[in-house]
Amino acid sequence: MGAVIAVIVALATHPLHTTLTQVAYRDSDRTLELSVRAFADDFRAALKAEVTDSSAAAYLRSTVTVFDRSGRALPLVWCGLRRVGDAFLFCLRASVPPAQGPNGLRGLRVHVSILFDRYSDQINIVQASVGGRRTALLFLSGDQPKPLL
Amino acid sequence: MSELATFVTLGFRHIVNPGALDHILFLLALAAIYRPRDWRDALWVVSAFTIGHSVTLGLAVTGVLVLPTSLIEFLIPLTILATALENIAVRERGRALWHGGYRPAFAGLFGLVHGAGFANYLRGLFVDNVALPLFGFNVGIELGQVVVLALAAVSLVVLDRILVFAALPQRSGTLRLRIVTVSVVVALVAARWAVERSPF
Repeated sequence: MGAVIAVIVALATHPLHTTLTQVAYRDSDRTLELSVRAFADDFRAALKAEVTDSSAAAYLRSTVTVFDRSGRALPLVWCGLRRVGDAFLFCLRASVPPAQGPNGLRGLRVHVSILFDRYSDQINIVQASVGGRRTALLFLSGDQPKPLL
Repeated sequence: MSELATFVTLGFRHIVNPGALDHILFLLALAAIYRPRDWRDALWVVSAFTIGHSVTLGLAVTGVLVLPTSLIEFLIPLTILATALENIAVRERGRALWHGGYRPAFAGLFGLVHGAGFANYLRGLFVDNVALPLFGFNVGIELGQVVVLALAAVSLVVLDRILVFAALPQRSGTLRLRIVTVSVVVALVAARWAVERSPF
């Protein structure tokens, strides 16, 4: 019985791992802003180092990708980080090429694989808000890029 | 996927995940005393738990109620331990206080604690426009609870069959033996969690 109890106790020693990426689009300069919110202890564990602008930017650029209609990854510009309670809030920006059409985001695809390499139960949520329309995507390990709209 | 469906999925996955085993064991402890024909009593208790955790989830996520995470994480195993010990202590439900009718009240009270636990998880991520995530997450938790309880009911029936097959319940009856077996395991796990999470 001791072994059974030890296994049950060990199974429940971690919370569900989740990040939230909020995407906003500014039509005036065709800029996409991504605000990534991640629990601080999870993120620190993934980086295995102090969370700095450079370490966080490098990690997020390798795990957050926005593809244009032709499948090309848009360059992501780092715009800072701050600590909010138990979480970090990271900022990334991308310029959307004019070819994407009048509403800017049509045809864009996104992929968020933050912490997939660390937690098997990791879930990454992407919320987009464009022109009053809101949508949400859910990424699990193994998922492919998904259309933003 | 729609925004609502996304958060329903998130809530569902939260409850049917090994990381949420404390909530699952609480549901198992609540369900352990019931037979299939007692489904109405079980429904009352689970509904009370649902109301309880929905109330604090809403209050805590919207910032009306702020409770320290370490305290909530400590209180959750205590609710499980108390439920399991009550299962063991009450040998005859018919002779218990109000014929055991206090269980929905306790389930509702303990639900308040578990709801605060769910909220601590949600609040870290959703700071604005929280209404839809909160509603979807809660619906997902309810759906997950239905699955957990269905699996618990099947598991308890299987355990009953094993006990009968092993000819163990000669003296105390299958139900009583099942209640004690399940509750002892749950109580030991909860006690260990309580010690590990103690803020004192």
